[in-house]
Amino acid sequence: MRFDAVIIGGGYAGCTVAGILSDAGLKVCVVSEGLSLAVSGSKTPYAAQAALQKHGVTVLRGDRAMGAKVQDGRVLGVETRNLGSGTILEADFFILATGKFFSRGLLSDKEHIWEPVFGADVEYSSDRTTWYDEDFSAPQPFMDFGVKTDASARVLVDGKALENLYAAGDIVAKGCKEANVTKLIEDYARRDK
Amino acid sequence: MTSKEYDVIIVGGGITGAATARDCALRGLSTLLIERGDICDGASGRNHGLLHSGARYAVTDREGAEECIRENRILRRIASNCVEPTEGLFISLPEDGLDYQANFIAKCREAGIDAQAIDPAEALRLEPAINPRIIGAVKVPDASVDPFRLVDAHILDAQRHGADIKKFTAVASLVKEGGRVVGVKTAAGEVIRSREVVLAAGIWTAGLAREAGVNIGMMPSKGALVIFGHRIANMVINRCRKPANADILVPGDVVSVLGTTSDKVPIETCDDMRATPAEVDLLLREGEQLVPSLAHTRIIRAYAGVRPLVVADPAGDGRNVSRGIVLLDHEERDGVPGLITITGGKLTTSRLMAEMATDLVCKKVGSSAVCRTADLPLPGSEGRKPSFEDPFVERAAIGRHGTEVSRMDFGKGGEILCECEHVTRAEIAYAVEHFGVRNISDLRRHTRIGMGTCQGSFCIRSVATALAEILSPDPRSAAKLSDEFVSQYRQERWKGITPVLWGDTLREAEYMQKVNGNEI
Repeated sequence: MRFDAVIIGGGYAGCTVAGILSDAGLKVCVVSEGLSLAVSGSKTPYAAQAALQKHGVTVLRGDRAMGAKVQDGRVLGVETRNLGSGTILEADFFILATGKFFSRGLLSDKEHIWEPVFGADVEYSSDRTTWYDEDFSAPQPFMDFGVKTDASARVLVDGKALENLYAAGDIVAKGCKEANVTKLIEDYARRDK
Repeated sequence: MTSKEYDVIIVGGGITGAATARDCALRGLSTLLIERGDICDGASGRNHGLLHSGARYAVTDREGAEECIRENRILRRIASNCVEPTEGLFISLPEDGLDYQANFIAKCREAGIDAQAIDPAEALRLEPAINPRIIGAVKVPDASVDPFRLVDAHILDAQRHGADIKKFTAVASLVKEGGRVVGVKTAAGEVIRSREVVLAAGIWTAGLAREAGVNIGMMPSKGALVIFGHRIANMVINRCRKPANADILVPGDVVSVLGTTSDKVPIETCDDMRATPAEVDLLLREGEQLVPSLAHTRIIRAYAGVRPLVVADPAGDGRNVSRGIVLLDHEERDGVPGLITITGGKLTTSRLMAEMATDLVCKKVGSSAVCRTADLPLPGSEGRKPSFEDPFVERAAIGRHGTEVSRMDFGKGGEILCECEHVTRAEIAYAVEHFGVRNISDLRRHTRIGMGTCQGSFCIRSVATALAEILSPDPRSAAKLSDEFVSQYRQERWKGITPVLWGDTLREAEYMQKVNGNEI
């Protein structure tokens, strides 16, 4: 299945980017893990889905990106749990918007934190005692952890940016937040049209 | 300011003090229990919740084992509402060998503990979660006990037999006249007189005694524990080897508790006990040998308590020091009449400790009243168990408080506020009225509110508001109080979450942060 853009994650970041890109006339697919899109409220998720579908967005609910096909610094496609390994979601570019820990955009064990779909570089320290502040109401370091990007919001894997993979929303490390993915993708969309 | 003279003042509101107060009150002594914080705030609220069969001590401490099995049987009877008769297994792994097991069974039987070797396959059928590599298993009469409930029941019974309970009142010093201890002086300067003072303050006993010129060699031995998010096994799972770290997994209500460690710690640290990430790592490494699935079971939190061990030799790690009951008659021992210390021991043997202390008090004050605590059921344990006949909203409360639920007004407060533990507004009102609950930590100890699997993520705001409304009639100050309770609760829970902050626990922590920041 081929799209202009595949967005992994149906939360606020994923839905927002999907809206902008579909508005710009791109053929967009959103892979969202929950039974409904991951925006809060009892009706909002369905309203958001209806709006996106009206713009021609393909929404794959209850599905999860399992892995990616990467070649020469470019993402060629993404496999999902429901479509199985035989079907690849191909696109010109991809947006990683899977959120942090709660949404399983980042996974962790006692010493490691990793991003499971692309194996992106994650900003964190392996010393678990630095992940938190003893004061619950103080800013918590783990809330700043996330994938590293370059200045154009492209995701780094082993220190090098993948050419056509962007990160958006909570999954982005705090240190990389200045890279404004929305604007960049908007520009990208216009240029492409 | 001077108040009335009591026959006996008991310092410390843990299980030892509470049981002693109950015994003294039942024997007709005028009794005051004084506690600096809330009852059950020390080691009594920070342990495994294990009612020992004595099997763990059978090989190393015959006397302790015999005490345990006797008291185990008594508590099943008098505290049926606090005890869940889960039974226990002692499992042997290939590296443990079976020699220890043979000796273990023989020693258990000598101590009067019914230890039955069972086939490893049968053990795995009973408890599928245990390590499949086991080569042997022994069934013993261990059980699970809710320590909060047990202490509360003693406090209630003491009160109902005339004892006074003074919480949130620190003892600054013991009052001495002509070499005799004649009472206590509170931090607020109040002098309360009594014929005898019993120190039952756990690890804090030594400091109080020192004030009166009495030296008790005590060693704080820290034990860390980890709580898992569901019942992994229905029996107490022990390792059949010389007692070591992390070799007991105890089911309690809907969770499982793994412990423990044993490390000598400085006395100054005892007021702020917390489990460290290193202790958690050690517990998991060892615990996974017992039950491999612990490696990927959701962890709720970690905590730590301090065993009040009495030592001759202050060196060593605490595991070789006697955990037996220590009753000190300071008149005989130190020439300081009017002062008695009861310490050491275990949660399981607390009733016996109380009996021994009260016997001595009676001897000193010239009473010949006999101990009845082994026969009289505790409040709540008069036989009522929850059943499907009971209204849904009352069932959990019946499980916790037994016959005491007759004092709760479900007609007015039948709304469930804590959904994990099914705590209603009626139960909160009961806890305020009968246990003098002043804040949300007290409420947690007396109702299990926020102790369930959500750890207050969903319910704490409504619980805090309900408690604040009961405590404060003015809506504006109630709102402020509610805010304070929420942050107090979150901070207290956070202390136990940080040492286990990875995997699912980290997922929940992110969620909690967002709830706290009103993002969700």
